[in-house]
Amino acid sequence: MAKIKCMVRPALHLTAPRDPPPPPPTAQQYLKSQYHLEKEQLNTASKPVEEVVVPDSATEAVKEAVTAEVEESSSTPESSETPDAASGESSETPVAASSDSSESPDAASGKSSETADASSEESSEAGESITAATEGSSEITEKDNVGEPEAEETPGIKLETAPADFRFPTTNQSRHCFTRYVEYHRCIAAKGEDAPECDKFAKYYRSLCPGEWVDRWNEQRENGTFPGPL
Amino acid sequence: MSFTGIFHFFTNSPCDAAEPWQLGSQDAATPMMQGIIDLHHDIFFFLILILVFVSRILVRALWHFHSKKNPIPQRIVHGTTIEILRTIFPSIIPMFIAIPSFALLYSMDEVVVDPAMTIKAIGHQWYRSYEYSDYNSSDEQSLTFDSYTIPEDDPELGQSRLLEVDNRVVVPAKTHLRIIVTSADVPHSWAVPSSGVKCDAVPGRLNQISISVQREGVYYGQCSEICGTNHASIVVEAVSRKDYGSRVSNQLIPQTGEA
Repeated sequence: MAKIKCMVRPALHLTAPRDPPPPPPTAQQYLKSQYHLEKEQLNTASKPVEEVVVPDSATEAVKEAVTAEVEESSSTPESSETPDAASGESSETPVAASSDSSESPDAASGKSSETADASSEESSEAGESITAATEGSSEITEKDNVGEPEAEETPGIKLETAPADFRFPTTNQSRHCFTRYVEYHRCIAAKGEDAPECDKFAKYYRSLCPGEWVDRWNEQRENGTFPGPL
Repeated sequence: MSFTGIFHFFTNSPCDAAEPWQLGSQDAATPMMQGIIDLHHDIFFFLILILVFVSRILVRALWHFHSKKNPIPQRIVHGTTIEILRTIFPSIIPMFIAIPSFALLYSMDEVVVDPAMTIKAIGHQWYRSYEYSDYNSSDEQSLTFDSYTIPEDDPELGQSRLLEVDNRVVVPAKTHLRIIVTSADVPHSWAVPSSGVKCDAVPGRLNQISISVQREGVYYGQCSEICGTNHASIVVEAVSRKDYGSRVSNQLIPQTGEA
């Protein structure tokens, strides 16, 4: 939370003193960003401040992703060719995106909020493409590892797991696992099998739930006795 | 199995295990354990202060008011000043103990940053299975292995008795780890003293602990719940991030292939 506030502040300076300070991202916003709710909803929000904030945070996210990617690639000098290529691609795209959206606050302060709107869409799209790229690269490395486990030392494993969720701040994470499992299957039901938006939920529940639980729940779903809201 | 044991023996020597006649804590491997040790020292300061003061009063009273020295007992029943002092001071001292204690307690409980990886430690009678599922792409494929205590009669030379396991948990050092602790049968627990972690493993419930091992090494722990005759051991081996990648890709996957 504190981190997000820090990201919001410079955007405020750049825009204008006329607007009240934007509220810290609410639970709804968090959920929206997490659940791939429609971009239009975010963009057509009543306050113009939010619109300007969006590209900034998006670029921050992009930068973070890039630095993470760079760290990964720097820590893995002898990785195989494919992940390198993927990281190269993804490190190229965000530069353009960040330069794009770094212009946007200026434009927003000078002109209308429409330009900010457009740039925000651009940068968010760029962010999505990057995440897609990173996911792709991780899949590739995974396949490499499975295919040739002893051929060469490929420390291409991406250290990434289900994030800490503010809905489950306690030690007991049973519901976290269950919720992620249900979310995945609801996502599949809504967007169809192999929908790319659902992949992260699958990743999350596989990270959190013991295999035994997942097997039992899969069986229950097949029998139609699963106790959750699917 | 035995090959991996020999391999471990030559690469790392067990320096973070309990020693005979050990009095203090084991060396800290996580900031959490460092905090615990520091709190222990803080509290010991007050403990010794109180101990000295109380024993001085006690000995002094016994000495001066002995029946032979002081045959006529004093008849004082009130002393306002001393009563105020002995009420206020003992109520301030617990505050000095409680404040750092609560600060530590809540900072240990809090998950500050997003963890970088999740390990599931599942207790069984009497072994542990560990799941590394961050790399899965389907429900079937999983990086799972069992970790059995090496029996009393065949540890390798230099291994600790009833403390060493056949498959250690390999974790990257200086990384935020989420460990999900649960059990498949009876209540177990997952405890590693030098990382300052002790978490009950309750069937049907997932307990989360987050640790960040600060230095590479091998850390030994044992089940801390009465779970049966063979309390299973826990051995965590922290390696550098780079080594972790190669260990996971090279070592763990073939093992799951066997199992």
